[in-house]
Amino acid sequence: MALNIAVCVKPVPDSKHYDKISIDPVTKTWNRTGIPMIIGDLDKHALEAALTLRDKFQGKVTVFTMAPESTRDNLVEALAMGADEAFLLSDKAFAGADTLATSHTLAAAITKTGPYDLIITGNESDDGSTGQVSAQLGEWLGMPHIMNITHLGYQEGVIELSVVTENGSVNYEVVLPAVLGVTRKVNKPRLTNVMGMLKARSKPLTILKAEDLPVDVRQIGLTGSPTQPGDIYSPKMGRKTEEITGSPEEIADRIILELRKAGISV
Amino acid sequence: MFQFFNEDQKMLQKVVREFVEQEVAPHAAEWDEKDVCPVELWPKLGQMGFFGIFVPSQYGGPGLGLTERNIILEEVSRHSAGLGIAMMTHELAIAAILNFGSEEQKQTYLPLLLSGEKVGGLSVTEPTGGSDFGNQSTTIEKTEEGYVINGRKCFITNSHIAQINVITGTSGVNEKGRKMISTVIVPEGTPGWTAGRKENKLGLRGSVTGDIICCDVKVPHNCMIGNEGDGTKIAMHTIGHFGRSGMAAIAVGVIKGCYEEGIKFSKERMVYAKPISNLQAIQFIIAENMVDLEAGHAMLYNACAIYDRGQSCVAEIAAVKLFTSEAAARASKRTIDLMGGYGIINEYPIGRFLRDSMAIIPSGGTSHIMSIIIAGTVCR
Amino acid sequence: MNTNEYKDILVFAEVQNLKPAENSLELLGEANRLRNELGDNTRVLAAVLGSNISPVVESLFRFGADVVISFVDDKLAEYRSDLYGEALTRIIEKYKPAIVLIGATFTGSELAPTVAAKLKTGLAAHCTELKINDEGNMVQVVPAFGGKVLGDILTPNHRPQMATVKAGITQKIESRDFTGTIEDFQCDLTGFGDRIKITGRQTELAKGKPLHESECIIGGGFGIGNKENWTLLEELATLLNGATGCTRPALDEGWSQDEHAMIGTSGVAVRPKIYINAGISGAAHHTCGIKDAGVIISINKDANAPIFEVSDYKIVSDWKKIVEAVVTKLK
Repeated sequence: MALNIAVCVKPVPDSKHYDKISIDPVTKTWNRTGIPMIIGDLDKHALEAALTLRDKFQGKVTVFTMAPESTRDNLVEALAMGADEAFLLSDKAFAGADTLATSHTLAAAITKTGPYDLIITGNESDDGSTGQVSAQLGEWLGMPHIMNITHLGYQEGVIELSVVTENGSVNYEVVLPAVLGVTRKVNKPRLTNVMGMLKARSKPLTILKAEDLPVDVRQIGLTGSPTQPGDIYSPKMGRKTEEITGSPEEIADRIILELRKAGISV
Repeated sequence: MFQFFNEDQKMLQKVVREFVEQEVAPHAAEWDEKDVCPVELWPKLGQMGFFGIFVPSQYGGPGLGLTERNIILEEVSRHSAGLGIAMMTHELAIAAILNFGSEEQKQTYLPLLLSGEKVGGLSVTEPTGGSDFGNQSTTIEKTEEGYVINGRKCFITNSHIAQINVITGTSGVNEKGRKMISTVIVPEGTPGWTAGRKENKLGLRGSVTGDIICCDVKVPHNCMIGNEGDGTKIAMHTIGHFGRSGMAAIAVGVIKGCYEEGIKFSKERMVYAKPISNLQAIQFIIAENMVDLEAGHAMLYNACAIYDRGQSCVAEIAAVKLFTSEAAARASKRTIDLMGGYGIINEYPIGRFLRDSMAIIPSGGTSHIMSIIIAGTVCR
Repeated sequence: MNTNEYKDILVFAEVQNLKPAENSLELLGEANRLRNELGDNTRVLAAVLGSNISPVVESLFRFGADVVISFVDDKLAEYRSDLYGEALTRIIEKYKPAIVLIGATFTGSELAPTVAAKLKTGLAAHCTELKINDEGNMVQVVPAFGGKVLGDILTPNHRPQMATVKAGITQKIESRDFTGTIEDFQCDLTGFGDRIKITGRQTELAKGKPLHESECIIGGGFGIGNKENWTLLEELATLLNGATGCTRPALDEGWSQDEHAMIGTSGVAVRPKIYINAGISGAAHHTCGIKDAGVIISINKDANAPIFEVSDYKIVSDWKKIVEAVVTKLK
């Protein structure tokens, strides 16, 4: 059976440049000027999972992102990596969305362009790392959803999964359609090559606005977000930084003294 | 940074960089130290589409230009100039066959070289010198069955690893009594073709450089590229555009390495509880690296754009090669100064960058030869 | 929505190996702390799901639950997102808590957004701090960009206000005097659990003591150099009845085999009484996971390593000499 797969990705600021992030003390917004946007690392694992399945069982991989139009190039990158089609959900009305509103918007686009057999996401985004969109997408779509996936196989309409837990792993079988959140363990994403890159520009990339989607305007963007951001700040972690000097033995004695003081029995 | 790349060129830069960070950067120091060329990477580089990006689709390439080709070499050389020159030379064989070869030669050899299934090489320089090109002593003699090649070439990149070789030599004299230079393809496994001594180089290690010895190497007539006597034109065009612009791209890669590593180090290195990037003396070094990078980029991709428009630009490319190779040496020396003691520790790549830039200068012609080429063109 | 109808604090009491998860017990402690800010008529509810929950009920009271809401059903024997999502949602709909706290375990991290989506309410993930503001709303402090930025999240107009918190962030409060009542809960789970089937389970016990239960943690980073050196850290941890923790590079190098031992943004946050670390430069990714440690002693050969800025004691030295000296003396 050919698989029609949707993959949700999120363009995020490149973590290599996090040192450039600063907070404006007046406006209380964070400044990320000069930081390139990239497709999150985990999202590439999600895309690879979809491409692997498509390459083996035929079908189609469609990529979705909800982001400003400036992130179009990130979607072209996904197409260059091998996705067949991309949808960029971009509208002022989507701005300020939390995970509930984001997943609602994505679900609407998936419903409109579907049906899909599988929806794959990274377990969490690289920037906010909330790890909420995957499960919430499943809820909006009314599909079973599973996260923390370390292994993904497919056989005759059934997805076989391994999922990491605190004390080991659990294997699941899930009936399609379903929403899956994958971890880095699930695969090694392919590198984009020149041929893929050149094909990407001729693949369909459509921008969808709020009016194109079956969304309830009260459930998108800032209006549809139950959570609201407040203050932002840099973590403060000042400590006294007293230097201990001496021979290794003297230093060891001091460490043992501190261990005792901290209540550790030695 | 050069601002006039089109969307595909920008993406190519990203694509190569991602590959290089994963497959090249972690091994670059080891290739340098052990002086081995990672030929095992060739099929992978082929799959990525990094070989012969300027080759049109009927021969299996994407049909882009010299600009794209040098974007690739620049990004590779950001981490390994040694691999850069090995790839560059592989592509000299591709360029010579593509631009001057017969349809049959193109159909036979280009797919093998583009896929990275075979390694290519170009043998021109002789012990008596490389720039005294018309005076080659290697002979390419015509016989009834084909051509017989005899002679010795030296300082040949890919000498010990190339399987499809393009070689120049003299084939008699013309009606004016001048030596006729010809270029032939020597297929893999042709008897009499051997690699001689392997050089132990200061820089660009991780590429193999050595002698080629031809002892009654017999190839069929269809191995001649173009006609007898076309050799000068073929070699000059190939080296003048693909060779030297490639060396310039490699040099720009090294400058970019110096620029990025210098910034990274100066932000991390603390002196008196402050990063040294706060110190003006260090800022001057970083600024100079940036100037050289900007200038090198602009010159390189301007020259490439001229070529991609279909015009010859030997002088412009010689100018880039001269400027960027000298600038790479300056930038790496400066960056070593910036890093103090760490600069000469081999855990950091800057020492290698300095050695590489010293080796880039004579590759494809020294700076003095570049000056002669430039002057020869502009004073004409 | 009339937010005044919602009053109590509900903690999802996760069961791991027939015991309440440490993370859940910590959240009961946090719920008691928040209750003091909200007012004494706020109750702390613990919702526990499963086929047999009797082994955990007593400890839920001991760690601060006023009411244990017990939902016993064979279908709930093992966690599955659809069944647990529905069950917990129905409990919340009935009890109308103002706040729902869920441990950011693998299970909790999936369950929380599931329930929040069903209830169409707000959820803040991996909170590092919870407090109540003047309007009586919960302020949830969450990290972003690998801990580089902290931000407040509020859910002012929706109820419940939901938050997940990682192990080790909040503190348990234990008392034998705590008592409470059990309330049984039932709802129809027909139709749930049909599309996700558990086909196997592998138990893989984390080596050594779990980090969040250790009062003493020995941390190591890339500076440890090799696997053999790593065993020296493990030896010290064993002597102190503690655990080893690591940074991502040390995990990537394979020196520490245990991925649950990674401390920091993408790993766990720890709050041992004492944290001794060696060969860790102090990237923000790691240091945000140790900010609640009691005493921090750092050993690094680089006098300017950023780790020292977040340390109580700074030792500029070859870590190996120091650790060997400590090990020798302890023996």
